[in-house]
Amino acid sequence: MATVSKQDTKSIQKLQRSGVIEFDKKACLTCRECEVACSLYHEGECNPERSRIRIDFDDFVPGFPDARVCKQCDWPACYYACADLWDDPPLSIDEKTGVGYIDPDRCLGCGVCAQACPLTPERQVMFYKRENGKRIYFKCDLCKDRPGGPICVEVCPSNALTYVSAEERR
Amino acid sequence: MTALYGWTGKLLRVDLSTNEISTLDTSQYVPKFVGGMGIAAKIAWDELEPGIGPFDPENILFVMVGPLTGTLASGGGRVLLAGIAPQQRPPVFSRSGMGGHWGAELKYAGFDGVIVTGRAEKPVYLWVHDGEAEIRDATHLWGTGTFSTTKVLRSTHGPKTRVISCGQAGENLCRIACVQTETGNAAGQGGFGAVMGAKNLKAIAARGTQGVPIADPEDFMQVCLEASREGQSPQAGKASPGQREWARATAERRMRKCGFCNTPCMMSLHMNVPRKDGEGTVNVVRQCWGYRAEDERAHLEGRAITSDYGLNGWEVSYGIIPWLQMCKQHGLIEKIDGMNIPVPDEPVEYNRDQAAVSSEFLNMLLHKIAFREGEIGDALADGACYAADRLFDGQGKPLLNHIYPRHAGQTNHWNGHWGTGGNIYFPFWLVPILQWCVDTRDPASDSTHQFTEHVLRYLPEHGPNRGPLSFETARAVCAKVYGEPDVCDPRFTYDRPETKAIPAIFHHNRGMLVESLVLCDREHTRVFSMQSEDKAADTALMSKLFSTCTGYETTEQELDAAGERTFNLLRAIDVRYFGRNREIDERVAKDLTHPAFTDGIKLDLEKFWPMLDRYYELRGWNPANGWPTREKLAELGLEDVADELEAEGKLG
Repeated sequence: MATVSKQDTKSIQKLQRSGVIEFDKKACLTCRECEVACSLYHEGECNPERSRIRIDFDDFVPGFPDARVCKQCDWPACYYACADLWDDPPLSIDEKTGVGYIDPDRCLGCGVCAQACPLTPERQVMFYKRENGKRIYFKCDLCKDRPGGPICVEVCPSNALTYVSAEERR
Repeated sequence: MTALYGWTGKLLRVDLSTNEISTLDTSQYVPKFVGGMGIAAKIAWDELEPGIGPFDPENILFVMVGPLTGTLASGGGRVLLAGIAPQQRPPVFSRSGMGGHWGAELKYAGFDGVIVTGRAEKPVYLWVHDGEAEIRDATHLWGTGTFSTTKVLRSTHGPKTRVISCGQAGENLCRIACVQTETGNAAGQGGFGAVMGAKNLKAIAARGTQGVPIADPEDFMQVCLEASREGQSPQAGKASPGQREWARATAERRMRKCGFCNTPCMMSLHMNVPRKDGEGTVNVVRQCWGYRAEDERAHLEGRAITSDYGLNGWEVSYGIIPWLQMCKQHGLIEKIDGMNIPVPDEPVEYNRDQAAVSSEFLNMLLHKIAFREGEIGDALADGACYAADRLFDGQGKPLLNHIYPRHAGQTNHWNGHWGTGGNIYFPFWLVPILQWCVDTRDPASDSTHQFTEHVLRYLPEHGPNRGPLSFETARAVCAKVYGEPDVCDPRFTYDRPETKAIPAIFHHNRGMLVESLVLCDREHTRVFSMQSEDKAADTALMSKLFSTCTGYETTEQELDAAGERTFNLLRAIDVRYFGRNREIDERVAKDLTHPAFTDGIKLDLEKFWPMLDRYYELRGWNPANGWPTREKLAELGLEDVADELEAEGKLG
């Protein structure tokens, strides 16, 4: 596991780039299979409130659906905020894929990551669950340990979600 | 087992007469009755009494979900409604389902169903959220359509609130009032919107943040992924590049699905549809049924108004309008409110013959029906079957023949005899006709589609159609799935009744599982698959989903028995409370003796009765009266039901 110590963040180095999930709003069927697949894979339950991806739409309002999912920033403010605050930061960068992920066992629920996220609050992509009265934050980690890649991409029936690798990213 | 997986464990009970809210433990009904329809049937059997009408406070409105609702299992957004249905003739205990997102939201709010009895003093709605429920005042919503009811409740309880509601049609107790959700999902058949209206229950709003725990997440995920690799038709796997291109959204239209479903059923949301005969624009969903309208805009506007009023568009477009056109052709009526009823040059014999209507005519008609305006609106508000008793001195009654089996009060559908649904040829239409005979409603919603929209597409020979499979392959698959290879062979007609009765029973039982788990019949059960080596679909899919989701290890045979149990329990309810017997079953078939619209072949009743005999025998019912036998009921663990039926002299 590659963790960056507090000293390292002071020099704000550029991190390894990761892939990203891209969303085609004109293909989305608003079925929300991605939401329940995500929570099933990561949390063992089907619960959109515990999904790392959220589809926003209202059939009564004209327009296209929107997906909220981590943009996997090259300069992830969430990561720097966490590392800056904690000696043993629970938000780490995966050595293999470069994706930022939160260790639920070590997350103390401070929420500094979500506050630092430049998309907050309008397009929130970092969420928390409550367990034993404590907040535990979670974000999209591109299903980094899943051989088949992100589960949401696999279940999407219309290919509205695609995985773009670090090399292919614009 | 201590923890419950799949089910939330609680059923919500609301008595609107006493404002009492309580909960029932789901665990007392499962796994035996599975969920949804199964639990509703069990409670109805226990609690209904003879003589209850659909609009009485004693009628029980079931709004049910199942263990697979709100999960990754495709079809997970659906909800099932049941109760004594006013549209049926006479009203009997029946069912209707719908897609959308509401079912899943109820589950996330912590309930496996809502069971409503009584009648509120003034209009109310139910607000269900995270394990709690409140009865709230709905005076401000009464008199408004389903669209604005949904929007107002979303602004009250948050944008993610999901709402089911009845429109003005339900408030006015139209027997063809549906329960509506979103911009176009509806529990259409049965008239459950009017049951809500009679209870002064305008809407049920739900919002939840609780999840559905899965017993074996990894295996469940695997089963779901395998299931999604199957397409609905021989042609479709996952959407083809062409379909994907067609499905790309534009400013006017985007494709949409019900929640948690990946079946390629091509439902679209049309945005900013200008109201041709009114102000502003509307959004509206377009799916299988439609109006024969002068242009697409009139059609879409008609759909929107139908959904907003909470009317059963199927009945209006495929029942009332063509029946009015027939009446005009027979000189019974000329105009409504000074507007000409459009008629084609040729006599209307089948649904395809009806003349297109203008938006002005359609809007006028829908308004009259939803508000029971005038003698004709008041009569048509109950559907054409009820209206024919009241209008034109009964002279319109014979004209219903091509449209309805009148006991159901619902138009022929997928049985080849009116032209709603699709093309189906002799002898295969004998399968849906057997299902129609014994059901309390149009069985296409959960049982017939499996056979007509899936099985038939693969067959080597179906009327003029040639499917992708050879007789040899199809026969082998049918032997495996049905235990009867000749199901696929059009050469066997009345002379081999098993070839029709077996699939009729199989898919009806599976239909009960679809309504209990709760899933979508467009996805379950498949019989054929182009992906598998032997071209047989995995018919154990439902039991695999059920087992991995709930942790109750259940074989395909065991789950099928649960479907059969529910079907028999519903039959027992129909027999005990509503006098169902063979004579009524036969009455359904007697309404289907005109030439089929596809091949012109007539149902031969003399040959059909022995087929019905065989159906009853295979069902374990007494062919003399169509009542379930003690042997069958005991086999299904329903001894108590057999005892009650025997006490009333109605055991087969």
